[in-house]
Amino acid sequence: MNNLRRTFLKVAGGAGAVAAAVSLGLSISGGAVAQGAAPGMPLPDEQVADTLKRLFGNRPIQAAGDRIKFDAPLIAENGAVVPVRVDVELPMTKDDYVKNVYIISDKNRRPVNAQFAFTPDSGKAAVGTNIRLASTGDVRAIAETSKGAVYEVKREVKVTVGGCGG
Amino acid sequence: MSQVRIRIPEKIKPGEIVTVRALVTHPMEMMAFKGGKPVEKNYDFIHKVEATYNGRKVFEAATTQAVSQNPFISFTIKADAPGVVKIMFYDTHGKTYEGQAEIKF
Repeated sequence: MNNLRRTFLKVAGGAGAVAAAVSLGLSISGGAVAQGAAPGMPLPDEQVADTLKRLFGNRPIQAAGDRIKFDAPLIAENGAVVPVRVDVELPMTKDDYVKNVYIISDKNRRPVNAQFAFTPDSGKAAVGTNIRLASTGDVRAIAETSKGAVYEVKREVKVTVGGCGG
Repeated sequence: MSQVRIRIPEKIKPGEIVTVRALVTHPMEMMAFKGGKPVEKNYDFIHKVEATYNGRKVFEAATTQAVSQNPFISFTIKADAPGVVKIMFYDTHGKTYEGQAEIKF
């Protein structure tokens, strides 16, 4: 395992090796969200476009309209603790439910803040948490349904003091 | 074991969608940088959260270092039977934090 990690880091450190890093990351973790995949180890910095591509492939990301209610502050004085709340107004039935909700901040070094997975037993896909933001930028709430549709809401949050320590 | 503080509404009607709020004390250690490069070390942060309701898994989260210190997480469950909601936090150093709340009507 440790050897694998070394290789992973070496590969990830190389330029233009995002694709390789992703496939390696997945083989280690067995398909968990890659940014939480190698526990405790730093992962490569990533652009938000790459993150979206990695998570959703070529599926179109639709604007959510009023399908998602996304609460985030307009101005966050402290980037270390930014309360956000996502309520997805989509039905949760056995064959069509909200499978995943992602919170992604564009300006963070590693954009995925968290991924939340639901089941039909959740009743409703609603989640709230506190996130860290490095600097002013868009924060996205993305909902993925079990049928593969992807909906997105973007909100700009102004950050006075960054919360990601460099 | 550090404890998890977990809160559910006091009065619940059968079939109601209930918001569960959980708070755990954890440093959620951030990545350190030296000369623009991440320092290679084993960072200590919570990377997985799991909630079960009467043994059924109802919610799971994969969190990163971009979640604040002392993470707070709220999520919903459909309270259709009396029982126990159990929430587990796993950190990258192998420690687990567990909290539970009882759902009764």
